Amino acid sequence: MMQLIEANWPLLVLALAIGLLVAWWVFSASRRTQVLRDETADSGEAARRNHALIDAPPVAAQGEAPPPASDASDLARIKGVGPKLIAQLHELGVTRIAQVAQWDAAEIARIDAQLGRFAGRIERDDWVGQARLLETGDTAGFEDQFGKL
Amino acid sequence: MPIWLELLVLLLVAYAAGIGIGWAIWGRAG
Repeated sequence: MMQLIEANWPLLVLALAIGLLVAWWVFSASRRTQVLRDETADSGEAARRNHALIDAPPVAAQGEAPPPASDASDLARIKGVGPKLIAQLHELGVTRIAQVAQWDAAEIARIDAQLGRFAGRIERDDWVGQARLLETGDTAGFEDQFGKL
Repeated sequence: MPIWLELLVLLLVAYAAGIGIGWAIWGRAG
C-alpha cells in the first residue's frame, strides 16, 4: 500500500486537486445570489435623485392612494426573501416589513437561529437595511444599494 | 485485490478528500 502511494503520489495529488476544484465550482456557484453593493460609488447622484424625489409632488396627491404598505406579501419586497422564507417567518410571527426594520442584533440572532438552512441570510442580504429603506419609502436609496425594485 | 483496483480506491479517496476540504472552505459558511 505505501509503495503504491509512493509510486503514484503525483496522481493522488492531482486527484485531490480535481476534488478541490470540483468542490470550489459547486459550492461557490451556489452562493452567487449575494446582494452586491458598491461601497466606493459616489453618493452625489443618489443625493440629487433623492432631492428630486423630495421636490416632486407626493404620489398620494396625484391620484388614488397607494395600497397599504403592510399587506400579507409585504416581506416579498425584501430581496433574497422567497415564498419558503416568508412561510417560515410567518410561523415565527414576522409578517410585516415594519417588524424587520426594527430588529436589533439580539432579535436578528434569535430569528436567524430558527431559519434552518436559511441561516445567515438576514445579514448576508441585509434584510434590516432593506426593510428600513422600504419602510421609509426611499425607493431611490433602495435601488441605489440593492438594485431595481 | 489487483493493483489497479487499489490505485483506483486511493484516487477516489484523494478526490473525496479534495471535495471534503473544498466543502469545509467554501460550502459551510454560505
